[in-house]
Amino acid sequence: MPDVPSPRLVYDALLITSLDDAYKPATGPRVTGLGVGSALLAELVLSQQLIVWADKGVDLVCMDYGGNGERYRPPADSLALWLIEHVRAERTSLSVRDWLDFLSAADVYTKTADHMAMVGLMVRREYRSRWRQRVEIGYEPSDPLIANAAFSRLRRHLSLAEPNLSIEDAFLLALTDAVGLSKPLYNQLPSGARVYAGKRRQALPAALRAVLAHLAAAVADIAITGGR
Amino acid sequence: MFTPSSPPSAVQAVLARDKLGTLSLLHFSLTAATPLTVIAGGVVVMFALAGQIGIPLGYLIIAVCLWLFSVGYTTMSRHITNAGAFYAFIARGIGRIPGVAAAWVAATSYCAMQISLYGLLGLTAQSVLARMGIDWPWWVCALAAWLLIGLLGTRAVDINAKVLAILLTIEIAVILLFSASNFANAADGVPLAAMSPSTLGGEAAGAMLALAVTGFIGFESPTVYGEEAKDRRRTVARATLATVGILAFIYIASSWSIIAAVGADGVVDAAIADPSLMFTLAGDQLGAPWAIIGEVMLLTSVTAAALSFHNTTARYLFALGREHVAPAWLGRTSPRTSAPVAASLTQTAVSGAVIIAWAALGLDPRVHLFYYMSTSAGIGLLALIATCAVAVVVYFARDRRGESLWASRIAPILSVIALLWVLYLSILHFHTLLGVEKGSTLPVLVPILFAGLAILGAGWGAFLKSARPQVYAGIGHGAKAALITAKAEPAEVAGV
Repeated sequence: MPDVPSPRLVYDALLITSLDDAYKPATGPRVTGLGVGSALLAELVLSQQLIVWADKGVDLVCMDYGGNGERYRPPADSLALWLIEHVRAERTSLSVRDWLDFLSAADVYTKTADHMAMVGLMVRREYRSRWRQRVEIGYEPSDPLIANAAFSRLRRHLSLAEPNLSIEDAFLLALTDAVGLSKPLYNQLPSGARVYAGKRRQALPAALRAVLAHLAAAVADIAITGGR
Repeated sequence: MFTPSSPPSAVQAVLARDKLGTLSLLHFSLTAATPLTVIAGGVVVMFALAGQIGIPLGYLIIAVCLWLFSVGYTTMSRHITNAGAFYAFIARGIGRIPGVAAAWVAATSYCAMQISLYGLLGLTAQSVLARMGIDWPWWVCALAAWLLIGLLGTRAVDINAKVLAILLTIEIAVILLFSASNFANAADGVPLAAMSPSTLGGEAAGAMLALAVTGFIGFESPTVYGEEAKDRRRTVARATLATVGILAFIYIASSWSIIAAVGADGVVDAAIADPSLMFTLAGDQLGAPWAIIGEVMLLTSVTAAALSFHNTTARYLFALGREHVAPAWLGRTSPRTSAPVAASLTQTAVSGAVIIAWAALGLDPRVHLFYYMSTSAGIGLLALIATCAVAVVVYFARDRRGESLWASRIAPILSVIALLWVLYLSILHFHTLLGVEKGSTLPVLVPILFAGLAILGAGWGAFLKSARPQVYAGIGHGAKAALITAKAEPAEVAGV
């Protein structure tokens, strides 16, 4: 059994999708939820807590109990535990798309941002809306360098065509593309950057490629149905 | 063991919370149709061009054809992804190469239909502004609307849907009021002769049927939301059939009411003399302000129609971009709004170029832009629906997939016969629709143009089959194409 997974992937996904600056817009709330949700699923697949397998053409998510009779060990990370407990509670395996929709609808963004606030990466702020007379909650990075770190790292990988790219960063590259941030991601980079990113995506484990394909399909569905 | 009576899990409860019912789907499909544009912009023109009073009967025939078509169409939609796009049905039923051909015809038809509305929009806005003492040329008004629609098209579509819903509610209320008033002030009682089969004969029958089809476009949209419906088997079918029924009722009642108000003998001459006949009648019967209200409502209705077709065209282009059947950049979304921004801007650029060209060449916005282009698009869409009906028959001919004989065989075959007959009549009588002599070049040119597009599309499909098999595998899957191509593409070795 591997160690407790690093929550870095889901944190980076949140920073990339939800924060905007002069060079990169933030994605809409639903797309952010889908992006963060897919990163959380990917983390649990990489830490061998979950597996994605195709049954009759449907990609299903289920618990990875391993084949050597090991007992179930819950993840120590509370965010991962929250999702794992939901997966375990299901009587039948649900599809990747169902889990992405659930994570988005269950506000995985807020849960992740709260988690990041606990470890000091984000700051939770309350705003009182003057017109709506309501308290609204927002999250800001505790340090501006943290906000840009993940996106800058991805662009550096692309510009250098880094040969030893980690699986997590290869996944983040594809995730950034899938949520609609390809324009700022590839802006002013050499033309070979897209080919490089495409090859890295194709080199990912099949389970992660399936999660990314469902993420791209979910984002495209929002464009077609208007995210009604 | 999970049984239907078991309480749903937390995950299923959250997923079920977002599911759509029949009324929600009906809302989406009715906002895609804009009845006042059809009635005030189309019906009066049909009386004038066709010179016949069989228009209510024409709407009834098309409603029956589309009802038959909807039975098989909604049944097949349960078994395929990307339901909602006609070309996807054709790709899955007949084959991917005909699917690409249909996609090209569909994108062109929707694009032409949307552009044609700028002609009517410019003229209506010009007329409304003239009442306020402002004298602007039609193309300035059209360009102002073009800018608004281009802007809304790149925003989140749910904003558009709310705008469209409010406009639609007011529109239907105004139509029903005007129709009731027409019947209450009937010249010679209710003209039952208008529903006689003899009223729909001669050289204009096909022309009227082609125009009638365009009024129902949007009826197919509930299938787009099939995966989000509460009950995919029933909800989508109910919403689609209800859309056809409601639109048919509105069109038949209002066109019949115009005949009742003017009289069966005089309605053709009245329509020729006054393109705003519906509002003139309202002004005479209800008071002059109602004519102005009607004209303002027509302006908002045409704007809503142009916006609706803009969104439909953009989504078509977006889906084709996602499938890589069209340039991939068309599949780009706006990060902030998730709208298909590249496809939307492309449609905006094409329509803007047409408006400017029409203005520069001094062409007539009503005849050359609205009539010619919308009727040509109508022929393309009718051919698309008829081919889709054939695809449904072929799809279920291979395997009924547990569906009833009526839904998988009888209704689809009847719809093919009916729609091909309507298409044949429409092409045969197309010159009447365009108001030109029989044997002129233009009525022949339009079907040839669509046939040429279909051949080019099929050629592109054949190229994809041999040169890019992973793209070919995703044809007809729209937003889900990523799932198919991801499985079809070879895995790379890390570090290469």
